[in-house]
Amino acid sequence: MIVVGERIHIISPKVKAAIESRETQAIQALALNQVGAGSHYLDLNIGPSKKSGAEVMEWIVDAVQQVTDLPLSLDTTNAAAMEAGLKKVARRAMVNSASAEQVRLNNMMPLAAKYGAELIALTMTEQGIPGTADGRASVALDLITAAAEHGIGSDMLYLDPLVLPVSADQAGVRETIEAIRVFKQLAEPAPKTIVGLSNVSNGAPNENRGLINRVFMVMCLGAGLDSAIVDPLDKELIEWAAIVENRDSSSARNNILIALYDSVANMEEFDRSIVDMNDPEQRDVYKTIQILNNEIIYAHSYLKV
Amino acid sequence: MPVTVQTPVEKWNGAVREVTLGATKADGGTRGRTVTVGGSATLPFLHFEGAIPNRPVIAIQVQDIDPLDWSPTLRSAWGDVTKDVLKWAAKAVDLGADIIALNLRSAHPDSGNRGPEEIAETVKSVLGAVDLPLIIYGPGVPEKDNEVLVRAAEVAAGERVAIGLCEQNNYRTIVAACLANGHVAIARAPIDVNIQKQINILMSDMGLPLDRILMDPTTGALGYGLEYSFSVMERLRLSALQGDGMTQMPTICTIGDEAWRAKEAKVSQGVPEVWGDFAKRGVVWETITATTLLNAGADILVLRHPQAVENVRKAIDQLIA
Repeated sequence: MIVVGERIHIISPKVKAAIESRETQAIQALALNQVGAGSHYLDLNIGPSKKSGAEVMEWIVDAVQQVTDLPLSLDTTNAAAMEAGLKKVARRAMVNSASAEQVRLNNMMPLAAKYGAELIALTMTEQGIPGTADGRASVALDLITAAAEHGIGSDMLYLDPLVLPVSADQAGVRETIEAIRVFKQLAEPAPKTIVGLSNVSNGAPNENRGLINRVFMVMCLGAGLDSAIVDPLDKELIEWAAIVENRDSSSARNNILIALYDSVANMEEFDRSIVDMNDPEQRDVYKTIQILNNEIIYAHSYLKV
Repeated sequence: MPVTVQTPVEKWNGAVREVTLGATKADGGTRGRTVTVGGSATLPFLHFEGAIPNRPVIAIQVQDIDPLDWSPTLRSAWGDVTKDVLKWAAKAVDLGADIIALNLRSAHPDSGNRGPEEIAETVKSVLGAVDLPLIIYGPGVPEKDNEVLVRAAEVAAGERVAIGLCEQNNYRTIVAACLANGHVAIARAPIDVNIQKQINILMSDMGLPLDRILMDPTTGALGYGLEYSFSVMERLRLSALQGDGMTQMPTICTIGDEAWRAKEAKVSQGVPEVWGDFAKRGVVWETITATTLLNAGADILVLRHPQAVENVRKAIDQLIA
């Protein structure tokens, strides 16, 4: 799994303060932590930054590039800031993001094309996010076509089905996973796929969020997910991705994860007989699978019953 | 050529749990009879598919303060008895109620703001006047609910009444009172399966046995969210039949409260003529809301109008036969 580190994000008060007062070292420390944790890309989210977007983006790209060679994902809806950042990026850049909304399409696609950057494309239109995998696939096709018209090859695209919280749209989780599977088949060469992983657990109690994120990640990987925007310092998350990628069957828990991955990959039902319900960890993983598959109704305290 | 069609029959793993309201002398109470609801092992009225051991029942709502704001249709149907909750409850018994739903509205800060001791007297006297099982509702203001329902639960100890409402952010006090006094608690969620299940879990987590919880998924009246209530109740029933223990509680619907809140039931002036006879409209509104939710799986229907009670009872007779 290609790990896009999400920790430099304007939503964090620490990051916001560091950006406002241009604390280069604070940003560099955040970057280095994520590099050390095995990130493959670093996302730089500066928000819309209406007033001084270009200047902020130039500064932050410079700051991060001084300490790492990792490719950067520039995350803003401000087109001027995006272009300023793309000019500054020394190696590979990723534009985060375009969508099928006309403004975001017209702003971001030409920039990605002009600077040869990879592009995250969200399957969302002015009407919102289609509820089904097929609906998202139809938007994805439009995005692939538009990208091709701009000279952006499908291998430069990261299609994002947009993950909705299981607590708000339980039936939608499986559609998101199926969308990933369908996206991979829409063009040759296959487009890449990406998700903002932690959104699946938005609204859930903090103590359950990590588990929901991890189980969902394994299911997405089974459907063919290439990449996820995550907190790379979440050690268990990175560990679980490695378990299914390396098929590390050294524990009963790991075997469950591999079986889950395979069941989604082969479009088969998950075989619950391999779960030891007397083992709390295995039991909680299984309950989370049931919740994400919409087999039982989600409740915040679903692990208690 | 005759065509034979095989009726599809689903095999379910679970059933709605049975809950009994009321306790007779043998069980430490003073009720003349008990009422057991729930138990269905199939979707509503699919008799060919699974057992439906208990018929849906009707609770008639009475209030402990004359509801001057009620629709004239309701007030003229009940007449003078609404001035005296004991007479009102007795008339509800005569009309064939299975349960009396006592609404302690006089404790509401806007309707008299009676305190727990006065309320306790009311509850005692209603228990003395009628021998049907009771449902007791607080005034619907969390602080006052907690204050008066605790006393109500104490004076009704052993009578196995149903007490409501418990909501996600206010359930502990009422559940504790039910636990201490042998009552059944009503769990309400705002037309939301996830919150309904969550409140059920939270209440059972306090040690309240699962056969002492009723769920109220919130009634939307005809034209005011009835279809949402229907689909939430349907989803909960399917989940119960699939074996999810935290959605297997019987369902109670406050039909009267919601149907008579509708403009169509309340307003006689300045509305289109095609709306028809005002005297019948409210009754029809309540009846349709009730019969629709019967088909979504309602086990207890709390009704207001005597004619609606009769209509709904006929519907149940036919559906259960």
